[in-house]
Amino acid sequence: MAEKVGVYVCHCGSNIAGKVDVEDVAKWAGENVKDVAVSRDYKFMCSSLGQKLVEDDIKEHGLTRVVVAACSPHLHEKTFRRACSNAGLNPYLMEMTNIREHCSWVHKDRAAATEKARALVSASIERVKFQEPLEPMFVDVNRATLVIGGGIAGLQATLELADAGYPVYLVERQPSIGGHMAQFDKTFPTLDCSACILTPKMSEVGQHENVTLLTYAELEEVSGSVGSFKVKIRQKARHVVFDDCTGCGICVEKCPRKVLDTEFEAGMGNRKAIYMPFPQAVPRVPVIDTESCIWFERQKCRACEKLCPTNAIDFDQQDELIDIEVGNIIMATGWEPFDTRKIPQYGYGRLANVYTSLEFERLCNAAGPTNGKIVLRDGKTEPKSVAIVHCVGSRDERHNPYCSGVCCMAALKLGHLVVEKTDAEVYSFYIDMRTNQKNYEEFYQRLLGEGMRFVRGKVAEVTDAARKPSEQGKLIVQCEDTLVGRQQRYPVDMVILMGAIEPQRDAREMGLKCGISCSMDGWYTERHPKLDPVATMTDGIFVAGTCQGPKDIPASVAQGAAAAARVSGMITKGKVMIEPIVAKIDEEGCSGCRICNNMCPYNAIEYDAEAQVSRVITALCKGCGTCVSACPAGVISGAHFSDRQIFAQIQGALWDAWQPQDAASQDAETVPVSAP
Amino acid sequence: MVADTHGAHRSKFLRDVIADTPDGEKIVHCLQCGSCGGSCPNGAEMDYTPRAIFAMIAADRREDVLTSNTMWQCVSCYFCTSRCPQDIPITEIMYSLKRMAIREGKARKSDAPALAKTFTDLVEKYGRSFEFGIASRYLLFNRPMSMLKSSGMGMSMFAKGRLALTPTRIKNVKQLQAIINKARELSQHD
Repeated sequence: MAEKVGVYVCHCGSNIAGKVDVEDVAKWAGENVKDVAVSRDYKFMCSSLGQKLVEDDIKEHGLTRVVVAACSPHLHEKTFRRACSNAGLNPYLMEMTNIREHCSWVHKDRAAATEKARALVSASIERVKFQEPLEPMFVDVNRATLVIGGGIAGLQATLELADAGYPVYLVERQPSIGGHMAQFDKTFPTLDCSACILTPKMSEVGQHENVTLLTYAELEEVSGSVGSFKVKIRQKARHVVFDDCTGCGICVEKCPRKVLDTEFEAGMGNRKAIYMPFPQAVPRVPVIDTESCIWFERQKCRACEKLCPTNAIDFDQQDELIDIEVGNIIMATGWEPFDTRKIPQYGYGRLANVYTSLEFERLCNAAGPTNGKIVLRDGKTEPKSVAIVHCVGSRDERHNPYCSGVCCMAALKLGHLVVEKTDAEVYSFYIDMRTNQKNYEEFYQRLLGEGMRFVRGKVAEVTDAARKPSEQGKLIVQCEDTLVGRQQRYPVDMVILMGAIEPQRDAREMGLKCGISCSMDGWYTERHPKLDPVATMTDGIFVAGTCQGPKDIPASVAQGAAAAARVSGMITKGKVMIEPIVAKIDEEGCSGCRICNNMCPYNAIEYDAEAQVSRVITALCKGCGTCVSACPAGVISGAHFSDRQIFAQIQGALWDAWQPQDAASQDAETVPVSAP
Repeated sequence: MVADTHGAHRSKFLRDVIADTPDGEKIVHCLQCGSCGGSCPNGAEMDYTPRAIFAMIAADRREDVLTSNTMWQCVSCYFCTSRCPQDIPITEIMYSLKRMAIREGKARKSDAPALAKTFTDLVEKYGRSFEFGIASRYLLFNRPMSMLKSSGMGMSMFAKGRLALTPTRIKNVKQLQAIINKARELSQHD
């Protein structure tokens, strides 16, 4: 029996209708394409009236297939599947054709775009006729959640879920949780002490009965899918037995090897070879840095082992792989600072008194290496003038084209700290002052009142080459004061570079492990930039904080909480729907060659040794189709992507090249299908 | 980055500069940050910094720009171009402005256009630079009084073998001239 196809072409306001003659496409399909029973165009198909149109037609005309030509299926496939369900049609008998992103938005010529839209619609009509009704599957959602990254976003997500009564695994790469926020002195715009507001959250996480804290650990591997992920975590060897250590700190005190702390202290202070990153570290269990430990270098010393009151030191400890099972994963992997050496004209690393903003944070932190005294690299001279340089590696096509968003406010904060703690004159060199959150502009006003000087111009260079006596022994900041329109030179004692916020260097690799993608810049891509900012294209994987894009502390906290709320919702629901788009093996034809077993990227095919056939574990199958094309006997088929459907789609797309003599053979049974 | 939208720019002057400069459409991405003006070794001598010139081009202030000394102060060191965060071909735009100023008779009282003309004439004729010819012809027509002053330097350069008295011609200079003529023909516009 011939199918009855309904075709619905959306205007999307002027988004599609502006470039595609949608009325023509609908009319053409209705008059020219075989088996089309109804063909309409509508201003907004996704509106409730548009959906009703589809529903009513299904009931009235007894449609057996539906094609919606509109936007990307990412946006509205669910909407129209639901509409079909409501009218009693199996939702998998609906096909969406993307004539917006794939057509109207990318073409200029209206006639050609209309022609292409016809081809796309025709392709979908031919395809949909061969689609089969499918039933969605449901799996239980594991109540445990994995949070990757123990910065402020990850901590917030962890606490929200743990407080709601759900188990959380928090994995942190560093020996302590806390992230970058633990390094800062004050937070803008309220100037409350960063540690004072962060450490209570850290210890709460450390002591929470629902939290399993895995610090000094990294994500190794993720398998499975939403609801039931299987995760391997590598617990790096601390060389301190976690359960035996009391955190007394004698080992750290007695360790004879001092090294520069390039992580927590940003190179401004030292630590020991056995260390906790900072006094409020959670957990209070040190790690041995095997690269600087004397024992690992030349088998001498063992001072820590001798003095440890609980014999917790274990030089032979090895990395350990921990397997856990979770229902959802929240990525909160954070950011890292731009390497300011990449802009040599700013002199970082060459001119002693040029600092990165993180170095300066440690310098003015009361718990930092100078106890909060702002002094030059000589360790004693207080600067009389300080220049703060904005946009170092941000808003720059040579480095990062994006605005890092937080540096303007951070620069104002640092400026305030200099004004508060010294008599120095402070200059801020900015391109545009961006203070667009609650109470931020007020903070800018405050700094204007405090006498901070603002020069509108991107710094051209920082040099120590004096041109006149007043510049002798100074760092000279050269730039154009664009509001005056003249080139100016400002001799100062100290320069602070506000480096860009960059994605973690291994963000892409980590994303691949979880099956989520990054933007060109390296930030994780959210499901929808406006309406779904913490979900990703992979169900069950959420993102929070700066790994999704530069943002400040309030925004990171908000995202952490938002991601936790989404996960909570999944757990409360208890079951999650899985697309029935999976592979199926015809056991009659399977020779048991097992080629598909190893090809499957999701380990979703198992071999039944007794029956000597391979079987697909449907809960794990993602419907990628690798096995379908690999099977030498051609007995694996992919639901919703069968050869017959794809060939019909190609034929449909080539409708205008279709010869009449071929048309006779366009019958369903004789479509050129490779599989028997 | 958005390209090929320059046809829509309101400023005729901006459209002309874009049409006259390879990669010129990037000028619309100027952030007015002043990296160029801050970096320029001659920035202090300019009537307007390059950044200000770009704002004036967008504002269609043709007369002010073409009569300014800015482009004539440019020594083509490419400092600005190498530092511009928006990748704008600033030095090339300076060349465009020089050409436009000469073409429209707006070039201010300066020998720079004459020096440029002498240089390009000789390159066109011989296929390579001829320092002695450039110096003597340029000085003779523009500042004959300073010929004597420069002769000392010329003599010592000659003594060290750094100054040839006769020009050398490249092989097949006719081909180069044909290329230049074609380019000239292609660049003829309203």
